[in-house]
Amino acid sequence: MSNTARVVAPIAGGLVTLLALGALSMSVNAGVRAAGQRLAAPQAEKPKVAVADHAEVPYCTPRFKQVLERVLHSCGLSGGENRRGCKPADVKTFASISDSDFNELFTPLKERGGVVLFDTAKDELDAEAKKLLADRWADRKGARYFFVVARASKTGSPEKNRALSHRRANSIMYYLKELSKDPEIEKKVGLLWLGNEFAQLSKEYCTWPNSRTGKKCDDESINRSAFVSWVDCRL
Amino acid sequence: MFEPKSRIPPAISLVASALGLSFATSSTLDYAAHLDRGLHDLHCSFVPGAAPTEAAEACRTAMYSPYAAFFRDKYWGGIPISLFALGAFTFFAGFALYLLIAGARAPRRAVGFFAAVGMTPLVASAVMGTISAVELGSFCKTCVGIYIASFLLALGVLLGALGLRGDDGGERPRGSWLVPAAFLLALGAVSLVPAAVYASSMPDHRPYLDQCGTLKKDPEAGDALSKMTGKRPVKTATFFEDPLCPTCRAFHQRLRAEGVLDRLDVQLALFPLDSECNWMLSSAMHPGACTVSKAVICGKDRAQQVLEWAYDEQDALSRAGKVGTPTLRAVIEKRWGAALLSCVDSNETKQVLNKHLHFATENGIAVSTPQVFLGKQRVCDEDTDMGLRFTLRHLAPELVP
Repeated sequence: MSNTARVVAPIAGGLVTLLALGALSMSVNAGVRAAGQRLAAPQAEKPKVAVADHAEVPYCTPRFKQVLERVLHSCGLSGGENRRGCKPADVKTFASISDSDFNELFTPLKERGGVVLFDTAKDELDAEAKKLLADRWADRKGARYFFVVARASKTGSPEKNRALSHRRANSIMYYLKELSKDPEIEKKVGLLWLGNEFAQLSKEYCTWPNSRTGKKCDDESINRSAFVSWVDCRL
Repeated sequence: MFEPKSRIPPAISLVASALGLSFATSSTLDYAAHLDRGLHDLHCSFVPGAAPTEAAEACRTAMYSPYAAFFRDKYWGGIPISLFALGAFTFFAGFALYLLIAGARAPRRAVGFFAAVGMTPLVASAVMGTISAVELGSFCKTCVGIYIASFLLALGVLLGALGLRGDDGGERPRGSWLVPAAFLLALGAVSLVPAAVYASSMPDHRPYLDQCGTLKKDPEAGDALSKMTGKRPVKTATFFEDPLCPTCRAFHQRLRAEGVLDRLDVQLALFPLDSECNWMLSSAMHPGACTVSKAVICGKDRAQQVLEWAYDEQDALSRAGKVGTPTLRAVIEKRWGAALLSCVDSNETKQVLNKHLHFATENGIAVSTPQVFLGKQRVCDEDTDMGLRFTLRHLAPELVP
């Protein structure tokens, strides 16, 4: 028995080692080759990973985006044209929307934005206006565009008010440039000046956050203004 | 103690070798599965042959670490160390079977040889266990399985060797001096075969390395990114990281272990996966990451120091973040003082972090961290762990010492 063991033992040990080694090597080879085949011809699509993008919040309804996209495209904000901003006739044409519907679209931005108020026939920003602008500008979150919708009151001719609201929009743009020092600000800020011809605000808008809280506000003064807000939509 | 003729020591060695073989096999096959650059579940259990699972963080940490494989410059992912264990345990199993059958007829020199080489897995386990504790901070269950098998094997061979002391009468043959030399040669060959098979069948990963896109927009001063400049920078890089992301921490540790961080000039864009500041998430994946990111921004010249502190203390910071912002602020203040905390609370810092996030948006990066760009070339996610060194060697050889 002991002599048999002496012969059988090394053979059994060696055989088991070789068999196990062979089986394991084949298993390793199969595992590596299978991975190589999956690499060359993936069977399953890679799981899709979300891509970083601007914010898209519930108020970005198709109608809202349609109007803003038309305005953005037509008023030179997208596409790198030289034109900067839109005057009342443009907005009327491009937005294809009634005055009240246009204003209604901005209702969800009541708390996000603010109304910068101006003195009669003036376009200078006072300290409160600058503070409101700085606060709103700083609160960008995931927004891509910052909208400025400047207006003028009914007093005076349409031409004069159109020019006045244009200057008001520009005052805001200049201040934002100075504040942000952002070389790409032109691609972020959309200017609309409506004069007194389109989408005048009613007295109810006096309750919106504005730069002259607590001061007299009526149908006339609320339109000596510029509504400003970041817009959290992918346009 | 066992008698000289006892078959119990080789039986223990055989069981131990089979156990080690089982753990080494599942570890090797897990490693090989990842050669397709996909993410797979891992066998990470004290039970040999247990089903693979997603909850295998410690095993993944070990697998992705620089200590898991050799020749990582030459082969994508390297040659896993478990392959050598596979070969060695195969040899030990065969040898233990031989001693078990031979019993008292086995030469003294064969038993002595087995006692000497049978201790080596325990020595290797001690080294790897120390690395796990000191460098990785976690123990993978499969690795612990191999440590236990190594201990049992050492026990078996030691008991076998002690049995020789009771056999001074010479019933057991001495055996030739050539016997240990031949066995040693066989051990070397058997240990190398699986590694050779693995290396010879590996797919070529080079065509995939530069297929993951480029940075669309270079960082500019207006993006206000943080800086991490190494001691001898030779290459620019842009990282998108979340200080409370475990994968980012592991990636950072790998770069440090590879000595790569010192050779990089990194523009760091903080990308916290926390909905408090990051609009791209509907809920916070890492609560508190926005606050900690602001702390990194406030670190300014010490941004890297703050980031590395956040990684070192990530578990505690994550717990504090889940409790609430005041708790997290207290932890930050305790380490970095009131001045830094006041910076964290400022509107300016909030805007800078917002610029980091917009930089990510402009580059359309994946909402997943870390995202790594060497120069303008994006490093694929699957190349930031197992294949990191191979990838660096091919995409930026100047970074690999």
